[in-house]
Amino acid sequence: MTRKILLLAAGAAIALTTGLALTSPARAQSGAVAQAIASGTVGEQSDGYLGVAGSVSADIRAEVESINIKRRAAYTDLAGKRGVTVADVAAATGCQTLANRVKSGQAYRIGTGAWQTKGAGAIALPSYCATAG
Amino acid sequence: MNRISIIALGLTGLSLAGCIQVRAPDKPIEINLNVKVQQEVVVRLQRDAQDLIQNNPELFPQ
Repeated sequence: MTRKILLLAAGAAIALTTGLALTSPARAQSGAVAQAIASGTVGEQSDGYLGVAGSVSADIRAEVESINIKRRAAYTDLAGKRGVTVADVAAATGCQTLANRVKSGQAYRIGTGAWQTKGAGAIALPSYCATAG
Repeated sequence: MNRISIIALGLTGLSLAGCIQVRAPDKPIEINLNVKVQQEVVVRLQRDAQDLIQNNPELFPQ
């Protein structure tokens, strides 16, 4: 009986520590990227990926790259399902992020143009975004 | 007389030069529709893109 309780407690302890080890660094990093986005040093690009617009730490730069690799995997998956190119899915997502997610004061970039800061109005989207809303 | 014929020759030369010549192009005329096609694809994908963003919040920090 006591043995069973001990085993259960040990199991719970292991689950708790591994769970914490797995989640806490990832959370801290994505929070750091969110802060960088809020401060305008990291921003969304019309090509569907995040970019570095200002000076950021190596950690944030690495996390932006990691997010972009995961985005590319998600775009590739969807492109395969729809029979379109990865670039098309990425561009469609870029329309959405620029139209709906970038807030005023945050950085964004269209194509290979210069980084811009969103003002009070909506971002002038590339023509291929058409009815993105 | 000689002078007049020279002037006449000159005038014919001028009038010939003024002719507009229309000639069919050697190469076929190409119209590039790539931009239009890409636009249609991207518009069709907007709904999918919205879902992708909502289903993967960790990839789209705000």
